[in-house]
Amino acid sequence: MTTPLLDITGDVCPMTFVKVKMGLQRIGPAGKLNVRLKGEALKNVISSLKTEGHRIAGVEKEGELFLLEVEKKHE
Amino acid sequence: MNEADYKELKKGGMMRQAEAGFFSVRLHVVGGRLDTKRLRAIHDAAVRFGRGEVHLTTRQGVEIPNVRQDSLASLKEFLAPSGVGVGVCGPTVRTVTACQGCKVCPSGVIDSPELADAVDREFYGRPVPHKFKVGISGCINNCMKAEENDAGIKGWIEPRWVGSPCTFCGVCQAVCPTKAITTSSDGDALIVDAERCIGCGDCIACCPSGGMGEKSRGYRLFAGGKFGRMPFLGKKILGVLGTKEEALAAISAVLEFFRAHGKPRERFGDTLQRTGFPALETYVKETTGLP
Repeated sequence: MTTPLLDITGDVCPMTFVKVKMGLQRIGPAGKLNVRLKGEALKNVISSLKTEGHRIAGVEKEGELFLLEVEKKHE
Repeated sequence: MNEADYKELKKGGMMRQAEAGFFSVRLHVVGGRLDTKRLRAIHDAAVRFGRGEVHLTTRQGVEIPNVRQDSLASLKEFLAPSGVGVGVCGPTVRTVTACQGCKVCPSGVIDSPELADAVDREFYGRPVPHKFKVGISGCINNCMKAEENDAGIKGWIEPRWVGSPCTFCGVCQAVCPTKAITTSSDGDALIVDAERCIGCGDCIACCPSGGMGEKSRGYRLFAGGKFGRMPFLGKKILGVLGTKEEALAAISAVLEFFRAHGKPRERFGDTLQRTGFPALETYVKETTGLP
């Protein structure tokens, strides 16, 4: 199964985080979600994901954009 | 009342009002915290000796206005049993301001009220060449405006690039608000510019791999700030101080420097304009052994 992709490059805080949270609700524990976002959204998205216990399994740079591989917490 | 008597009253926190014979009585409050017992006593005192109102000052203090001169002594006596003291004015170390700190605020790095209490215990009301204000912000968001104080403290997180787990993903560099993180010329290390770093810790909070870690967290001291007629922002001196005791020692040395070099009625920032900031920093480092 391919990892679903969530593109939030057109969103601003707090919608960025809200959309990632909703995206994670649709997948099971330890599931993966790819998130494409702008640099300015990185801080809020990553710090809140880490606080909630999820993991950033990978980061790729796409020019000015970032592609995060988010691993939902195991439980 | 002669001017000498008034000066004594003023030093003791009794501020002469525009209306003859009335005083606004400044109370001793640290970091804007008052328990309900003291609040109730202040309420009762304002009803009994004032006109049933208080003024919340810009520095988190409380004053009871409209107190008659002949009631000042009885007001002081009335408040004493509940632990409410009268404040200070004149050329002294003034009210210490503080945010709620790391025990209450999720952004907090240091326990601001704890340091405020310690600074208050050690230095409040001590004589100095001119008024001296201390403000303590628990983190880099700086709600207490450290740089507007003669001595200001900010909670500070100093990052260190750890190395091996780092994948060079670029997140820390993208989130750094001052662009303090650069890649080394051969591309195999990250370098944090300590001068540009503002101690927010965002690079650490966002690091996916654990490659960016914490070197230290503690107290960062700013000296020589003031507001009023001629505002001036204080400047950062010393490194990150690891403990409350180190922060206290640094503030103590700053006060000694001010007493030694300040002219009467000269704010600390103006003293530093004459002596230069390096003279202060050297003095504090030599007398305390702090970094």
